[in-house]
Amino acid sequence: MPSPRPGWYSRVFSTEHKTVGLQYLWLSLASVLVGMVLSTLLRVHASWPGTIAVADSSPERYAAIRLLHGSLMVFFVLTAAPQMGFGSFLLPLQIGAEEMAFPTLNLLSLWLTVASLAGITSSFFLSLSQGIDLWLLSAALFSVAALLCALNFCVTVIELRTKGMTLPRMPVTVWAWFVNAILSLLIFSVLLAGCASVLSDRLFGSHFFSSATFLAAQPQNLVRAGSLPVLWQRLFWYFAQAEVYVAMLPCFGIITHLIATFARKPVWKERLVVLAICGVGLVGFCVWGYHMFATGMNPYAPLVFSVLASSLGVPAGFLLASWLATLWRGRIQFNTSLLFAVGFISLFISGGLSGIFLARHDLSRAAVSEDFVIGHFHLVMGVAATFAILAALFFWFPKMFGCRMNETLGKIHFWMTFAGVYLVFMPMHWLGLLTQSNLLSDAQRTVVASAGASIRTVVTLATICTVTAQVVFVLNFFSSLLRPRMLESNNPWHATTLEWSVASPAPRSNFQGAPPEVYRGAYEFSGNVPDDFAPQNLAPKLLVQKET
Amino acid sequence: MPGPTTTQELEAPVVERKDGGGGGSPPVGGNGGGDDEKNRGRRKPSPKRYYTGVAVGIVAVLMFFMALASAFLVRKGGADWIPVRIPALLWLNTAVLIASSATLEMARKRLAHSDSAGFRKFWLVTTALGVVFLCGQVVAWRILVAQGIYLASNPASSFFYIFTGAHALHLLGGVGALLYVARRNFSQAQVTQSVAAEVTSYYWHFMDALWLFLLALLYLGR
Repeated sequence: MPSPRPGWYSRVFSTEHKTVGLQYLWLSLASVLVGMVLSTLLRVHASWPGTIAVADSSPERYAAIRLLHGSLMVFFVLTAAPQMGFGSFLLPLQIGAEEMAFPTLNLLSLWLTVASLAGITSSFFLSLSQGIDLWLLSAALFSVAALLCALNFCVTVIELRTKGMTLPRMPVTVWAWFVNAILSLLIFSVLLAGCASVLSDRLFGSHFFSSATFLAAQPQNLVRAGSLPVLWQRLFWYFAQAEVYVAMLPCFGIITHLIATFARKPVWKERLVVLAICGVGLVGFCVWGYHMFATGMNPYAPLVFSVLASSLGVPAGFLLASWLATLWRGRIQFNTSLLFAVGFISLFISGGLSGIFLARHDLSRAAVSEDFVIGHFHLVMGVAATFAILAALFFWFPKMFGCRMNETLGKIHFWMTFAGVYLVFMPMHWLGLLTQSNLLSDAQRTVVASAGASIRTVVTLATICTVTAQVVFVLNFFSSLLRPRMLESNNPWHATTLEWSVASPAPRSNFQGAPPEVYRGAYEFSGNVPDDFAPQNLAPKLLVQKET
Repeated sequence: MPGPTTTQELEAPVVERKDGGGGGSPPVGGNGGGDDEKNRGRRKPSPKRYYTGVAVGIVAVLMFFMALASAFLVRKGGADWIPVRIPALLWLNTAVLIASSATLEMARKRLAHSDSAGFRKFWLVTTALGVVFLCGQVVAWRILVAQGIYLASNPASSFFYIFTGAHALHLLGGVGALLYVARRNFSQAQVTQSVAAEVTSYYWHFMDALWLFLLALLYLGR
């Protein structure tokens, strides 16, 4: 029986996981658009100082733009979209549950995230000191939101799986969300403790970080005279090291899932892939721990950190091998979603390779200059994760809105963005190596610096082009929504997981009160016949009937 | 590997379920129910999610305090570290908190024997002991303030106040949970009273153990 259409209040403040998930994604979309405009401002300022009034007024304003760009992108795009957005929307559907374990908590974490976004954005417009306080408070709010969300994810995966959905049968996406939720639970509580301490130092004059004698004992490169004190760096490292993995883990799950679906092949060594995802979570957490150890206690303990950071290469390398092996000899369907997934792999390799330089402490001393690091982490974390988000959006768009996005526009958008981001971030590596390398003498550096100016201009122009290319995406997104074309079936990608066993867009009650039963793993494809796939909920007798 | 099948047939189960409707097995692990208030009231979800939820929550809270404890250990070596003399009242407070855990267990035992009045009595005693503990902590702070030891005095005092303050805030949440269980009418609720009491007791005992840890840290780590 169709239920009456809910009013705007119950739609905005709905506890329904699909609505909450979509609201997270809208939040991310707004943040990514603002964040991209900010990055353009920063690049234009770097190439042609004097043209952007906001960035030129003072170094603090410039730093504030950078901070706003980073906060928007890291918190509200990279953390919110793959985990909270897609996770909230898809997790109950994929495990055969009607809802998250604690729907009200889900709603609460969404609105805490909204409050945090409002706080971080308004901190930009306040005076420096007030702005920092508000930023810290907002970061603390975001931590609480992420913690509540993580708790909900953990309990949902542990308790609400439908009949037959054993752990080995869970889609890799669910595994990734689950491992990531555990990691988030561990690190965001630490970020919360860090924020609380720093706020207490700033507001009540306590002495967790800001003691003069403690600062004097720190190495000089951490405490620069006149700069914002060590607190910022400490807070940054508290969080940033593990945040990379928090952003990447769900993307690993999404990419594995999409590649198997579009290559029409089972995931190569699925169990080991799951282990590798757990490994990334575990090592990611340890690297963070040692980084805090290093900043708090002994900054000259790089060996342990270095070894741990390098050991991440093992699970990451295995994931890469699995993606390539899954694609190998598959009947690959080259649609936009797969293109973005393959783009992710490409960016992951490029960014990962430059990461090797940074993980070795002796090499990193030569290579570690701002441009190199910016190039590295934007490739591997920022852009790669964004590609995974876009791949996921193209893939699950039918499930969310009941129509597909335009493939031609999608492909144009992909190629423009793919070429654009390489043009932006690869030269940044060169800039870092060329112009600021400690290996060069001062005289050589001056010569190279003048050559660097032209590279910088190329980077800026490429940034402007790439950001402009996103108009194609926005156009595609909204035109698909406003003029939807009917889907040929509920399962347009011929995928196997449970979310495709219900109507597209997903109905208000996921499984109409009759939860599905799961009979097999999530990636049962065989490459021989066009429609050869076995949905997880297809009863064995139906499968046998067909075979006979 | 599955044999060849066609899309139409693979989608058959969807159609079948929508038309047939019946025959669906009861939900395993329960259903959240979403917005559907009628459904929510009718079907009680499995209580296991609350146990798992409180366990996962405890891990997060533990991690929060471990971060502060590791900062405490790192920070304690500094030259500006002036140890705080722990007020003797804290020992009394500790005894009160341990006693509250004991009365909580007695309350649960009464509930298991369907002695509702006994349960209520001990449950309220537990709540009262929790409030007494919190008041005791406030008095302990006032004693320190009277000695001229403030949050901003030195790193050791900062840590003393944040440990006791953060624990008190978490315990306040526990007192809220105790009051909720005491006042809630469970005939309409998704969980039974014994489940709510048990889940609350896990959190309360954890708060108790956490306090012992923090006290040991503050006492031994001077």
